[in-house]
Amino acid sequence: MAQARTTTVGGVRAAGDAREARIGSGAHVRGRIRGEGSLVIDGRVEGDLAIEGDLTISEGATVKSEAVEAHAVTIAGSLEGDVVASGPVRLSSGAQVSGNLRGSAVAIDDGARFAGRLDCDFDLPPELGGESRESRGEARPRTSVRR
Amino acid sequence: MASTVIGAGITIEGEITTDEDVVVAGTVRGKLSAKEAITIEHGAVVEADVVGGSLVVAGALTGNVTAAERVDLQSGARVIGNVKAARVTIADGAQFKGNVDMDV
Repeated sequence: MAQARTTTVGGVRAAGDAREARIGSGAHVRGRIRGEGSLVIDGRVEGDLAIEGDLTISEGATVKSEAVEAHAVTIAGSLEGDVVASGPVRLSSGAQVSGNLRGSAVAIDDGARFAGRLDCDFDLPPELGGESRESRGEARPRTSVRR
Repeated sequence: MASTVIGAGITIEGEITTDEDVVVAGTVRGKLSAKEAITIEHGAVVEADVVGGSLVVAGALTGNVTAAERVDLQSGARVIGNVKAARVTIADGAQFKGNVDMDV
């Protein structure tokens, strides 16, 4: 039995079941996954994902999804699809991601491969404050700046 | 430790296929197939046809079950569906409705 995984970013999360959910490396899930807890994917998933906890796509894992919704998202494997995270998104070295990423923060490590749009909120420094409200929706890779 | 764990808060609607173990503590609807052991824990809800090497049920299962080796329905289990396995045990306190086929 694995120990409960602690929340990485602020806020109090109910501990729920003391075990994290895991799709093993030999497993293939086709369908919709949703729920409250955190999830680690070591295997293959085809379908939409909506969880309230953290999502980890491990090295060697493959996810094909229209929409991935989670709190913090860490990707070291391969993902095809859009990510909407309420927490930070991290692409680790070796990650291969095609799709749009939205999160409170986005980190792309050296060695990660990414094709898509980045969209994250952050406060402009005061000297840039004001009118930098760019439109969103272009397909080319860029960071939207919103206030 | 099982290689695939469907935690208590997690719901999967669709098909799960694996050549390893599966533990279900959450909800699965659709189809569940594993080459090794499948454990459906107390509190879990499975509405799926289940195919596995062996199966232990302590939660609620609706669907037909086929296991290569054995099926154990533990106390507290609630199973509606047909069970096909060479060895089947139904513990005192397990609820079961369906046919048993031990391939005799």
